[in-house]
Amino acid sequence: MNTINRRKFIQALAAAPLASVLTVPTSALAAKKKAKQVVVVGGGFAGATAAKYVQMLDPSIKVTLIEPLKTYTSCPLSNEVVTHHRTIESLQIGYEGLTKRGVEVLHDTVTAIDPAKKSVKTQGGKTLGYDAVVVAPGVEFDFTGVEGYSQEVSEKIPHAYKGAEQTLLLRQQLEGLPDGGVFVIVVPKAPIRCPPGPYERAAQVAYYCLNHGKPKSKVLILDSNDSFAKKALFEQSWEKLYPGMIEWVAGSAGGTVERIDAESRTAATAFDEHKADVLNFIPRHTAGGIAKAAGLTNEAGWCDVVPLTMESAVHKGVYVVGDACKGGTPEFPMPKSAHMGMTQAKVAAGAIVASLNGLAPPVPYYANTCYSLAAPDYGFSVVQVYRVDDNQFVYVKEAGGVSPVDAPAIQRKLEAQYADGWFHNVMADAFT
Amino acid sequence: MRKILPHCLGAAALLVCATGAVADDPNLSGLAATCNNCHGVGGVSAGSSMASLAGQNRAYLEMVMLQWKSGERFSTTMGRLLGGYTEDQIKSLAAYYAEKPWTPAAQELDPKLVRQGGFVLDRCSGCHGKTGGETKTEDTPRLDGQWVRHIDLELAKYRDGTLALPNQKMADNAHKLKEKEVAAIAAFFASQSGEKAETKSK
Repeated sequence: MNTINRRKFIQALAAAPLASVLTVPTSALAAKKKAKQVVVVGGGFAGATAAKYVQMLDPSIKVTLIEPLKTYTSCPLSNEVVTHHRTIESLQIGYEGLTKRGVEVLHDTVTAIDPAKKSVKTQGGKTLGYDAVVVAPGVEFDFTGVEGYSQEVSEKIPHAYKGAEQTLLLRQQLEGLPDGGVFVIVVPKAPIRCPPGPYERAAQVAYYCLNHGKPKSKVLILDSNDSFAKKALFEQSWEKLYPGMIEWVAGSAGGTVERIDAESRTAATAFDEHKADVLNFIPRHTAGGIAKAAGLTNEAGWCDVVPLTMESAVHKGVYVVGDACKGGTPEFPMPKSAHMGMTQAKVAAGAIVASLNGLAPPVPYYANTCYSLAAPDYGFSVVQVYRVDDNQFVYVKEAGGVSPVDAPAIQRKLEAQYADGWFHNVMADAFT
Repeated sequence: MRKILPHCLGAAALLVCATGAVADDPNLSGLAATCNNCHGVGGVSAGSSMASLAGQNRAYLEMVMLQWKSGERFSTTMGRLLGGYTEDQIKSLAAYYAEKPWTPAAQELDPKLVRQGGFVLDRCSGCHGKTGGETKTEDTPRLDGQWVRHIDLELAKYRDGTLALPNQKMADNAHKLKEKEVAAIAAFFASQSGEKAETKSK
């Protein structure tokens, strides 16, 4: 893929059966024409991948990535930072790799996207025209709906679900947890990014407590949902590795938190008040604000896309990839994960390059692999493969599924090792 | 998925035709792009537990992927992924990666282990060759410059004894290795630059 020659890629696209039914414009292969512009809004796993792959597939396209932060911090594996198994630095990467490839990286914030004029505006006062724009803002937190919680409160009651500061704040609070203390994790209604994240966190916190002189501590998960990703595998790991330390309360069993008191670190449901020593409150998610501002979101707050290309179902020439897309619900399971966002970004990149050269898009391929670590040497995974039929995402039943509950013991060790290898490869694939 | 090599019939012809034709198919490169997430851009892995695929023997890649798909060979995630793809797609992927240049991993190795590995190769070199690159058959993986951690994990699978792994000869030899020899052999093969094998194959 990295060695693909643009001319060959485009010729091959033109020769592909999908394209053969269309008229291939003679200008498609013309050497001298005004460079096409692609703007990518957001430099997480999905956005960075989109920028890189557009640039790689057609180096004649001018690609600009707009991202406010100069350093990206991975959310995957950040639970291992909370428990000191990894450093925060090991999850961080800059954008130099993309710059070296020829992507222009602009550290700024996009404040408006105009699909009619095909331009974006930034906080820094720039206006950039585009032939195609990729919107990858990730998620934003909805601080309403639970009494006593706000963005300001999150600086004391961390969500640790985005950004290095929050992860480090939760780590600091865990360090201060007394032996016998209670660590409460509040999980909002789905969909959320990294759906197994809160349950992996519970295991990691228990691991930390066992190994740092806090064996009498407890982890309580107050959940607004009635089930969760890899449930049988998590429950097996909790039972096996941390017997009696982790309790999960389903939404229908009174797990839905309605109110919190930051001062006393109390989470209240319709039935009980739970006093925490560490309160980890994860707020509800919606698509990143710019997606909403650009009119790309549906009633539920997420972006609908055309499955063949990842183009927005609302605006032409606008492609949405990553966590901001609809997904992660039982009705529409494509999860909000780094891996999923990256495969979406690759589909979008192929479709954009094809479109800007007047050709039909290549066949889209969607796959997800998501590892969870219940302990440093205890991992398991879920795999999903999707195809597109009749303009719908279809879960391929012959593929996918979770690691077997009755897997041989060595599988948990292997999957923990592969989680690490996966991490290094996704970081390299997206950012270098 | 359209047929990529319609004019290639015999196996020998396939190898010749595969050069160029496979890499240029945008639908195939799109499929292969999904492999990059775990196996690195173009199959050159940046994560030491994951195998590099670029330049690996085509017949080996095809064999293990088909065995993972059918369940004949134990896998953690590969079987669950490959269930979503056809045999033709899998064969095309094998050819796609095989024609890429073999790129030995840049990795730190214990020189003592590498040296020790050089002395106890006999059990492995018959099939994998003296550098791990001159494999006796096309369905044997080349190991010269593969990630040491990946080789260690593959040996651990064979030595575990509980997993479905179709190659009995490999299982027998892996079991016969002494504990100390395992890490040494992995380090030795990982230390090889791949150059000797490349020169010889030309």
